[in-house]
Amino acid sequence: MRRFDYYQPESLEEASALMADLGSEASVIAGGTDLLVEIKEELRKPLHVVDIKKIPGLKDYRYDAEAGLRFGALVAARELEIWAPVIEHYPNLRTAVSALGSIQVRNRATVVGNVCRASPSADTIPPLVADGASLSVYNRGQERHILVEDLFTGPGRTVLVPGDIVTGISVPPSRPQSGRAYIKHGRRKAMELATVGVAVSLERDGNTCTEIRIALGAVAPTPIRARNAEALLRGRAIDPAAIAAIADAAMAESTPISNVRASAAYRREMVGVLTRRAIGQAMGGI
Amino acid sequence: MTRIVTMTVNGEERELPSPVNRTLLDVLRAEGGLTGTKKGCDVGDCGACTVIMDGKPVNACLVLAVEAEGADILTIEGLQHGPDRPHLLQEKFMEHGGAQCGFCTPGIVMMAKALLDETPAPSEDEIRFALAGNICRCTGYTKIIEAVQDAADEMNKARAQ
Amino acid sequence: MTVHDHPVATKQSFSVVGKSVKRSDTLEKVTGSAIYAGDIILPGMLHGKIKRCDIAHARIKSIDTSKALALKGVKAVLTHENVPRVLHYGSPHPRSASVTKDQYILDDRVRYWGEGVAAVAAVSEEIAEEALGLIKVEYEPLPAVFTVEDALKPDAPAIHDNGLDNNNVLPPVIVERGDIEKGFVEADLVIEGEYELGRPTAAYMEPNICVTQWDGNGKLTIWSSTQTAFMVRGALAEVLGVPLNKVRVVVDHMGGGFGAKQDLFQHEFLSALLARETARPVRMEFTRKETFFGGRSRHPGKIWLKQGFTKDGRITARQARIVFNSGAYGSHSPGVTNVGTAAMTSLYRCDNIHLEGRAIYTNTPIAGAFRGYGVVQTYFAIDLQVDEAAERLGFDPAEFKLKNAVREGDIAPSNHPIVGHGLEDCIRRGMAESDWYTVRKAPKGDGVKRRGWGIGCEMHGSSAYPGIKEQGNAIVKMNEDGTVTLLTGTAGLGTGAHTALSQIVAEELGVPFEDIAVVQGDTDVVPWDIGAFASHTTYMGGRAAQIAAADVRRQVLAHAAPMLDAAPEDLTITDGVITRTDGSNRSISLGEAVAPQRGMPAIQLVGVGTYTPTKSYSFGAHFVEVEVDTETGEVAVLQVIPVHEIGKVIHPIAAAGQIEGGIQQGIGHTLSEDYVIDLTNGRSLNPSFVDYKMPLSMDMPPIRTIILETAPDPGGPWGAKGVGEDPIIAIGPAIANAIHDAIGVRFRHYPITPENVLNALRVKLKEA
Repeated sequence: MRRFDYYQPESLEEASALMADLGSEASVIAGGTDLLVEIKEELRKPLHVVDIKKIPGLKDYRYDAEAGLRFGALVAARELEIWAPVIEHYPNLRTAVSALGSIQVRNRATVVGNVCRASPSADTIPPLVADGASLSVYNRGQERHILVEDLFTGPGRTVLVPGDIVTGISVPPSRPQSGRAYIKHGRRKAMELATVGVAVSLERDGNTCTEIRIALGAVAPTPIRARNAEALLRGRAIDPAAIAAIADAAMAESTPISNVRASAAYRREMVGVLTRRAIGQAMGGI
Repeated sequence: MTRIVTMTVNGEERELPSPVNRTLLDVLRAEGGLTGTKKGCDVGDCGACTVIMDGKPVNACLVLAVEAEGADILTIEGLQHGPDRPHLLQEKFMEHGGAQCGFCTPGIVMMAKALLDETPAPSEDEIRFALAGNICRCTGYTKIIEAVQDAADEMNKARAQ
Repeated sequence: MTVHDHPVATKQSFSVVGKSVKRSDTLEKVTGSAIYAGDIILPGMLHGKIKRCDIAHARIKSIDTSKALALKGVKAVLTHENVPRVLHYGSPHPRSASVTKDQYILDDRVRYWGEGVAAVAAVSEEIAEEALGLIKVEYEPLPAVFTVEDALKPDAPAIHDNGLDNNNVLPPVIVERGDIEKGFVEADLVIEGEYELGRPTAAYMEPNICVTQWDGNGKLTIWSSTQTAFMVRGALAEVLGVPLNKVRVVVDHMGGGFGAKQDLFQHEFLSALLARETARPVRMEFTRKETFFGGRSRHPGKIWLKQGFTKDGRITARQARIVFNSGAYGSHSPGVTNVGTAAMTSLYRCDNIHLEGRAIYTNTPIAGAFRGYGVVQTYFAIDLQVDEAAERLGFDPAEFKLKNAVREGDIAPSNHPIVGHGLEDCIRRGMAESDWYTVRKAPKGDGVKRRGWGIGCEMHGSSAYPGIKEQGNAIVKMNEDGTVTLLTGTAGLGTGAHTALSQIVAEELGVPFEDIAVVQGDTDVVPWDIGAFASHTTYMGGRAAQIAAADVRRQVLAHAAPMLDAAPEDLTITDGVITRTDGSNRSISLGEAVAPQRGMPAIQLVGVGTYTPTKSYSFGAHFVEVEVDTETGEVAVLQVIPVHEIGKVIHPIAAAGQIEGGIQQGIGHTLSEDYVIDLTNGRSLNPSFVDYKMPLSMDMPPIRTIILETAPDPGGPWGAKGVGEDPIIAIGPAIANAIHDAIGVRFRHYPITPENVLNALRVKLKEA
């Protein structure tokens, strides 16, 4: 592993100032499961690594029916995976965190890190986008909120600026008559990067879909919302024909690439299949 | 920039020198003299370097040694009860043929220990799920799963008595 | 689970052999105390790293190492300009005609993307790595070819100047039997097909590693993860210009090899040279990525196969052209081509055969030895086509395979008669265990997911005869307390070989298993060994150990006879006690019999065993159930029933473990594992465990292993035969045939990806 300087700030103020000073040559390390791999493989060459694990207050997570779910930047994927409120209210996020690497990785990897890494195939992003989650960002005394959906500008790129420290993520509460699902498609059952990931969160009134959000992973330079597809169902009756039309629309909205994992055509086709299946699962969960 | 990292390793307080850009895995092996923990991929894909850190299984290749300051680390060398007194899991791996080349074995045994600490009576599916991050290229996992299952059964029987 | 049939063996009852004794190597392994080459840490040890090229074919115009040498902590840098230029074998199997001398330690030319061009030794791994980035190499690109089709074109660049045209590694291997034209005339049905083979790789868990050290007397010690310690010794001595007694190769435990660790690798030479230059020990360990770049894969390629069949279900003619892609160097291509081609004479009986096997250089990573050695590829083609013929002729595939299965007296690929009816026994047993007729008739499902069953068959030789005239050696010593030490050169690559050999010695000597200790893996100490490969360790090494043990037994009985006032032939040894067989019950323990006595030193009891085998064949039939998701194309293997006939089983659990592990690798090769090379520039696209997809714990199905002992071979100890390679051969065709049963599509390639499945279903729908 190449050389870098290592810092352990003990407060948000200190960390933020440090990151602002060090600029683009600095990387934050929380779980480190992505960063260390990227350094070893020379995909990222930070001169400075800022460890935020000594900063207090970032390890908390809580849920209540009014405020929803909120977890800090140091909460490991595995903690959410085995936590009853997540299992009960956010099965989509549960599926995503359980599918992220191995238990060993998930004991270190943070969900905030998985999001901020901004990989198009990151598992936790589609369900968070579909649920309308937002990030809390601290920068030298200021706090602001960014919708997870609005975070990404390209593969590995975000709207975050030097000095920004993401302190946590908030997910709105689940509403009555709502259901959600995330389906990850890969070539084996675990230890996999998603070939395609589809998250669907929806609400219904009788057989009418009152709200739906579809988020797609690994089929565009960033995770995306399939808005045209959503519009086809929002306010309409949920029937097989409608679901088939949505699947087609979601396919049309995806712009996947071909690589060693799958061809673009296959990925697009899977968007259709998984969108249908995810809608079915989300409905089944109501 | 080399630091002295203080951690508890297998119950003993150790002060191990490490540059900041070196992993816990490399430091445990080279400085700690604990070569039972193996390097199979160095990027968290194979689980051969699994150790238990503060009660949780982690890949030692994805932890900087400096991040382990103050941590409590259990490696494969710390699992047995004493010389010639292997842990029950180790016994069962021997009995069932759960180790062939043995290179993945320390990591798998540590992961199995972490599983049984959390889930004393795992189903076959739960064992397979827990071992998903441990690559074994020799056994097809059949005998590993038998070994873990048998160890769990025996521990539970002992507890019941 | 292992089910046993009773053996047909000369010995009626066994006390150690056939029992799953506690393996002698596993206590160390489960407690983490087993020492692998990478666990050797020496004072003053330096860390070596290899600089690899990022171009598929080029001449090196210049290498500037000045900045690397100037980096603090760097102790030496080697390039083609300062290493000995000795042409050497990649795979120096002694006494084998089929090896290719086409490698230099470092050349002024690179022939594949990822080949080593320079090496650095530094005080830490981090510094060595940093130094690699400071070495500047200027390349003059040469035209490159990546497929056998391109390499065979008349205007293709010559990758080696070996006197053969069109990048052939060796002259074509031609195998003929009977009259092929007559055979096709007799046929009622002729099937022709082209079968395409992916590039699976061994992916052993322990990356290639060696530690080298020179002592003050100019002697080199190398701890290396190799299956063939004596070959490493031979090649190092030859290339470094030192006698054999100045090279010591040590291999204690090794973390898997599966055949692929029986080449000489660049790092073994480079580490030795760096250690000599710096006068310090040097450790060189591949990263996981480097195990892909610098390791050895199975040979990809293509097989064109045409067979003739009669309406009553006989095979009248078999014609094939096999073209293996050797990659940039010859490595095991001659052996793989010979073995894979000759194998096509057998498995399913046919009198009229014409086969042509070739191996072609391309600018891709090196293909080498790997479990199943050419046979995985050629039996994939044969079994799939025979399955297809059964369907077209209206036969049940298992019945059809049983009808045509090779049997007692048929001439094997090695040109000697097959012993026993192993393959037939495997097929029959598997049909019964799987309830074959019922499961084949069961509905396939009409929803998104369809299920099906398939059968695949295989046979494989123990030992590399006749390609290599092999030799197994063993030394057995009895100590003065009656305990026994076995010295063997065979590598412990994880199969439990040393346990099996100890069991054989214990059985032959009549002592408890626990009284046997094994000394292995040190070329200075143990008898010469050809290496652990070709499924021959138990068969050949075991027989040698048995011979050595019998030698000691004779000596002990001769020594003890006067003590019991009996002739040696009237004595027996059981459980460490020598007893008169005349019913007098007079006995003496071995310890007492051989102990030193006042005024008399201990006696020297050393037995030597040397065994030169021909070959035996083991057999297998795999019965597999799959489920195909017709919307995603995913294929899940739901269960496998492998039935293997391997002669006398020495250690049932270890044998079953070999079978189950082989199935894991075979499932991977058939469905998901493929080391992919970019055909535009030769770059490796997936040199990692993230993208080289092996089946893991959640992907592996239950395996119900059945081992038969119905066709013991007189060449092995009590009829024992090999099992290491067999299981990886039958699983592939079994899966492909099961997919056909599920969705009616016949694939002729591996790996069969989800995308392939969907595309094939689309074509099928269009045709319907």
